[in-house]
Amino acid sequence: MKEWAGLAARLLTGGVWIYAGALKLPDPDASVAAVRAYELLPGDSAVTVGHLLPILEVVIGAMLVLGVLVRGAAVISALLFVAFVVGIISVWSRGIEIDCGCFGGGGYDPDATSKYPWEIARDTGLLALSVFLVWLPRSRWALDSVLFRHTDHLEGLEELDELEEHEAYEGS
Amino acid sequence: MSKKSRAEERAAKAAAALAARKRQERRRHVLIALAVVMAMTVIVGAGFAINKIRDEKVDEGISKTTAYDLSIGDEDAPHAVIIYEDFLCPVCQAFEAASRDEFAALAADGKVYVSYRPFNLFSDGDDPRKEYSVASAAAFAVVLEESGAEVAKEYHDLLYENQPSEAGPFPDADWFVDLAMEAGASESDVRDGIEGGDGVDWVEKASALAESRGVHSTPTILLDGKEYRDGRTLDEVAANLAAAVS
Repeated sequence: MKEWAGLAARLLTGGVWIYAGALKLPDPDASVAAVRAYELLPGDSAVTVGHLLPILEVVIGAMLVLGVLVRGAAVISALLFVAFVVGIISVWSRGIEIDCGCFGGGGYDPDATSKYPWEIARDTGLLALSVFLVWLPRSRWALDSVLFRHTDHLEGLEELDELEEHEAYEGS
Repeated sequence: MSKKSRAEERAAKAAAALAARKRQERRRHVLIALAVVMAMTVIVGAGFAINKIRDEKVDEGISKTTAYDLSIGDEDAPHAVIIYEDFLCPVCQAFEAASRDEFAALAADGKVYVSYRPFNLFSDGDDPRKEYSVASAAAFAVVLEESGAEVAKEYHDLLYENQPSEAGPFPDADWFVDLAMEAGASESDVRDGIEGGDGVDWVEKASALAESRGVHSTPTILLDGKEYRDGRTLDEVAANLAAAVS
């Protein structure tokens, strides 16, 4: 049951990441502007973050959907959601009205204040799903179970006999 | 050898074989994990590099001057600043407010040449904001043509000070004429041009110029031909830029 919940969490969180990243990938300039609008990052580091985020989001999303290194991907996913929630709370408390730029777009938005609570709720929900996956990374239909399959049990005594024969052969 | 010890030996062997296989498997898992992490890092790094390259296309080279701008200061000043802007863009208004007086002073001191390049940012014909964006820049072009650079600079500043909300409603031609007169233009010089939309052609050419230079957002600020974005807020960008040229 928990493994099916893990699958659902992976597909939902990963799907949102892929969607959000793919929308931002075609326009790096807009992505930088969206990051800059938060007025949080010093110097021109907003440029670096703006260029890095879209591809990082797509890759993390793909890892979650495919089920590759789920725990690691979920840790990064959770950290990103924490950063986004902090960012939105920060602009909200400073009275800056911007589109969160979560799914492309970004910049000034006169209706932003009414959207912040929903955006925080959404990111917190996805953060909770990410934390769930950190806690319980094993789930159905994950590539991890193929990549890291367990073969550390001997298939009965027949296999041991084979091993012994092998050793005897090597010893001779 | 007794039967019992034979069985024990067999069990010990089984345990040893199992332990060896566990070690082997752990090593295999670590290697797979490392390979996956490396592959993902390469993909992220490549995507980052591609995004960076695609975004670095605004490069003005040596063309400080254009027919579609309003410039202040000496063209041979040690630094040249180019500002692509849209009269409807609230961020441009904030940048103007933060930088205008300082740049005027620096230009007067011969330290910097500033080229203001208003254009219409909205290429989408259905965007309701396009109408004001075009009308304001067209009115500006008429004032620049008819009343000269000094009045046009004043008009430019007034357009930002009186900027309407992006959500509208947008003012009519009379409002542009009144503002031009406030800037020092005479009504007879500019009314016909503003009402007849004589500056629209100028705006189209200025926008085509911005497009050809890869300008897709406003304000796009260039210092000596390179895009300048150093600062957390536009206030900081303005202050850093002023410090860089003074």
